[in-house]
Amino acid sequence: MAVIPRLDTLGPSNTFRSHRVDEVTGVDGTALAELSLAPGLYVKRSIAKMRKARPMPLSVRIDRIAAAGARFLRTVDGVSLDEHERQVSQASGVALSVVREASQAIVRSAAAVGESVRRARPLGTGDDWHEVSSTGAVWTRRGDVLAVQAPGNHPATHAAWLEALALGYRVAVRPSRREPFTPYRLVQALRMSGFGAEQVTFLPTDHTVAREFVDTADLALVYGGSDAVARYRDRGDVLVQGPGRSKVLIADGDWAEHVDTVVSSVAGFGGTACVNASAVLVDGEAAAFAKELARRLAAVAVVPPASEAAVLPAFPLERARELETYLRSELDGGELLSGGELLEPLPGGGAVLRPAVVLLDRPDPSRLGIELPFPCVWVAPWSPADGITPLRHSLTVTAITGDEELLASLIEETTIGNLHIGDRPTHEMRPGLPHDGHLAEFLMRSKTVIRGDFAHH
Amino acid sequence: MAAAEGDFYSAAMEWHFGPETGSPFWLSKADSLGFDPRRDVRTHADLRRFPNVVGELRNVPVEALIPRGYGDRPDVIGAFDSGGTTGAPKRVLLMSDWMRHSLTWKSLRMDDLGFPFDANWLTIAPSGPHIFGRLMAEVTRMRGGICFTIDLDPRWVRKSLALGRTEEASRYADHVVDQAHSILEQQDIGVLVVTPPLLVRMAESDRLVDLVNEKVSVIMWGGAHLDADTRAVLQGEVFPKVRLCGQYGSTMILGGSMERAGSGKPAGQCVFDSFSPYTTFSVVDPDSLKEVAEGERGQVVMHHVSKSLLLPNNLERDLATRVAAPAGALGVSVADVTPVAVFEEAQVIEGVY
Repeated sequence: MAVIPRLDTLGPSNTFRSHRVDEVTGVDGTALAELSLAPGLYVKRSIAKMRKARPMPLSVRIDRIAAAGARFLRTVDGVSLDEHERQVSQASGVALSVVREASQAIVRSAAAVGESVRRARPLGTGDDWHEVSSTGAVWTRRGDVLAVQAPGNHPATHAAWLEALALGYRVAVRPSRREPFTPYRLVQALRMSGFGAEQVTFLPTDHTVAREFVDTADLALVYGGSDAVARYRDRGDVLVQGPGRSKVLIADGDWAEHVDTVVSSVAGFGGTACVNASAVLVDGEAAAFAKELARRLAAVAVVPPASEAAVLPAFPLERARELETYLRSELDGGELLSGGELLEPLPGGGAVLRPAVVLLDRPDPSRLGIELPFPCVWVAPWSPADGITPLRHSLTVTAITGDEELLASLIEETTIGNLHIGDRPTHEMRPGLPHDGHLAEFLMRSKTVIRGDFAHH
Repeated sequence: MAAAEGDFYSAAMEWHFGPETGSPFWLSKADSLGFDPRRDVRTHADLRRFPNVVGELRNVPVEALIPRGYGDRPDVIGAFDSGGTTGAPKRVLLMSDWMRHSLTWKSLRMDDLGFPFDANWLTIAPSGPHIFGRLMAEVTRMRGGICFTIDLDPRWVRKSLALGRTEEASRYADHVVDQAHSILEQQDIGVLVVTPPLLVRMAESDRLVDLVNEKVSVIMWGGAHLDADTRAVLQGEVFPKVRLCGQYGSTMILGGSMERAGSGKPAGQCVFDSFSPYTTFSVVDPDSLKEVAEGERGQVVMHHVSKSLLLPNNLERDLATRVAAPAGALGVSVADVTPVAVFEEAQVIEGVY
């Protein structure tokens, strides 16, 4: 029997091998790793120690993050990139090809982190107070330690906290039990590239200690569902990354031209990201569009995630059943179009859910807001009379329309995070462009510096 | 050994069920037991025949618990409550002969564990209605030190937590820790007695950690659970030169068991040995209530059989691993004690205590 790897904490002064552990299992049920669980006292002491550490100079941080990106692609702690990517795929169910793309995305973000944080800085502020000769403003941190309660849905989400590290935060990452491999590798790569142990840590905990983790750090970045949003909504020190509910609006009179954009928006990245579209509004012939979309999505291969052809994510069988049951319970008269049985059990264990298209007879905002972790999209007719109400509360809206007035109202709508105009998929992202605002808008503030002459004696 | 076990239980049953010596509480039950304790109880295993009567201790007048054999002027130290973690408190009496007897045993275990003699103690523990603080104050006296005490009200903390007032519970803990700080700063303290949540709270203050490391040679924790991982951090990182010792007990057995000293315990485990034959443990399957095998986990059952009290078969709120008792001891020892999540239909709420 193969030896199951043990992921211990990577604390600021030591690693900790706990008595109590979480088991990390693949979607097919195989045991992949054991995860040490840090007790609350260890977490608090770690964060206190990180708070006392001083960050390295900005340019050094940026160089070392870039180096860590390159390091990520090589063998880290005896684990090759290929081995790592297979573990991630098996644990999270994300298709291997998507995991490989994510590795490259992490590397690109690491290489561009200096430029990314520079773009987030207000024009009127500088990085260094020494540069203020009489009056000016500097971009300063709101705290010292950022706690990241990380997700396990997609490995590239970990690129986000690299920006905090670049801004001088000490970053403590609590991995998801579902997929702890990516942050474990990234923290190791950062340390191999010159970040001190007190600058970046890997602190797995159980759910009870997770609350202490968030409360103990100065600021926290929490990924989660509606429950996490509800818990932390009123906290100025916590930034919650909840469901994305991204949408596409086709309102230029010719839907047939834009099916590719929608297929990509729905199934790109395997449909597991918050930037995947979960709703499409069509001005005219919504039913015909939905059928064509379903036909195109039915061509996506239904294969195990490790297969080279795989795009779709896999789930433990029980979880896949829950998702199907939930989807069916929410149909409420909507027509489910999928190319075959929704749930396809995999020979080796686990299951894949076929892409699902649900045709609604009207743009009902509550159902348009149902986001599931596989390609699942709600299609509804839309007319200018419906206005932008059904498009509200979206991380990204792709608007295919030439109506300037409509576009202007989408830009001004406060509950829409990003606007893509024309045939640009909802998941299109690049370093330097804000994802849900710039992370720096949460982490930093502008501070006035006014300098007078010293009275010399 | 078997003969000694038989003699012990014969004498105990004669005492508790003899009309001249038994307590009104047990004598009134004798007919409804369905067996004759004086004839049928000869071994530790036979204790399992008794019903679990602790629930009745919520409202029985405490005088009814005193064995008549103590005569007209029994020397009662006082009445004490169970923790009240799961509903209304249960009450028992502490008699002076039992207190002397059990604390003498406890003090000998402290010798084994390397506790200093003639050292001052700082005891952060509840006084009445709980037994913990009282016993600790007495044991300091027996060991030649001066006892500094800080009172705790774990009932208030639990109430605050049940109402979701975590902030209030936290402020209370700070209030207690501040008092400890002042004593540790100003006085010579060799032994610190404290509950695990408060010890963890103390460990968050650099100054307190320094004071404890500088002055204290033994920290004795008890009154609440301490998970193995937190214990490892406390011992290995926070208080590396201080000896951490646990005690595990219950008001319902009128005292505590002590952590096993030195060798003889499985790696990394904290094993508690009871004061056999007077206080003993069993570990049972929570559903079937059958005893689990050695090395397996189950729910702890405590038994108390002394001259002052008979209270067998008390199903406690804790889970533990069954470990072999020391040679010659009855029952079993327990390791890695943790709370069960749901007990008697009420959610267990732990707090500072």
